[in-house]
Amino acid sequence: MSATGESSTQLALRDPDIRLMLRVRDDDAAAFAELVELYQQRLVAVMNHLVGNAEEAEDLAQEVFLRVYRSRKKYRPRSKFSTWLFTIANNLAFNALRSRRRKPFVSLPAQDSGPLGPRPAEQIIRDRGSGPMQRLQRQELAGLIRRALEGLNERQRMAVVLNKFEDMNYAEIAAVMGLTTKGVKSLLSRARMNLRAALSSYIFMDGEPAPEAEDEE
Amino acid sequence: MTEPAQLSDQERADLVAYLDGELSGEAARAVEAKLSLNPAFRAEADALRRTWELLDFLPRPQPSARFTHRTMERLSPLRTGEQRWRDRWRASCLGLGWAAALLLAGWGGYAGYNRLVSREPGEPELLRDLRIIENKRMYDRIENLDFWQALDSPDLFGNEASNS
Repeated sequence: MSATGESSTQLALRDPDIRLMLRVRDDDAAAFAELVELYQQRLVAVMNHLVGNAEEAEDLAQEVFLRVYRSRKKYRPRSKFSTWLFTIANNLAFNALRSRRRKPFVSLPAQDSGPLGPRPAEQIIRDRGSGPMQRLQRQELAGLIRRALEGLNERQRMAVVLNKFEDMNYAEIAAVMGLTTKGVKSLLSRARMNLRAALSSYIFMDGEPAPEAEDEE
Repeated sequence: MTEPAQLSDQERADLVAYLDGELSGEAARAVEAKLSLNPAFRAEADALRRTWELLDFLPRPQPSARFTHRTMERLSPLRTGEQRWRDRWRASCLGLGWAAALLLAGWGGYAGYNRLVSREPGEPELLRDLRIIENKRMYDRIENLDFWQALDSPDLFGNEASNS
């Protein structure tokens, strides 16, 4: 029975990916290829947000699929298939990040123009509507956001990525990361506060005035 | 640039959970009340929401076109290895099965032969053991071998035995 009290059969009936995985369990190679097609984009995206390197993200995503294949005989549908898949991804990504910490990783410094010129977000407002320039500024902004995301610790980053990009609720994130729902709530709260601190210069760049906190009186 | 409002950890966690649609009932109503009454709280909620929306600027990384192909390529040695292991296991099982069947057949044949062909002692064996057979009733009465050997001692009956 699953955590929600559903039997494996009920889960399999509701989740087509479970049915696909059950075919993989029965050594159906075509079903495995289908599963790879179905989840590759999501897995690569999550891994990329976590490790910040496209090549490494692909390698890790492939490793996740290989682990799925290796453990197919032990697969028992107890929750959504994606929860099981992302639990494997979570473990693998943390192992990779841990081993990377042992080997020093050099990341390029942020290219904030600061005193040398307008900040990218200010520039975006100024250049709004200009095609190639806007694209360039969007890239710069994306770079800033990526660095803010990389500034979070691994667990906070994972929780943010699963919540934001995988649309997982707190209970699902808890299942993937082996935490309690309360733990996820606290983790995401701290992550959101850190992101808010790192990106505070860019959150009102669309020209809207920042709300005045002194209205309180 | 806006400074984060001074909220307790619990207040912030509840606010974030509310923005994520994870609060319900009494807790959600408490956050809604604070939002309607406290502009600083409202500003913090707005800043947190906007920060979250900024993440939409991140590009969605795409896997390379040959991702599936490369994954399946990495899978083939795994499948070959598994197949080889399965074949070896099957061959071992088959060998063991044959060996067990042969042993069983041998043991069954031996047991069957013993049961069906009951062995009667032959004449030479009866002649060899004749004295024992004749005295069996006496031997049955002897409790142990030491006692029987002691009967043979001349000291036990003395001259009485030789005179009689």
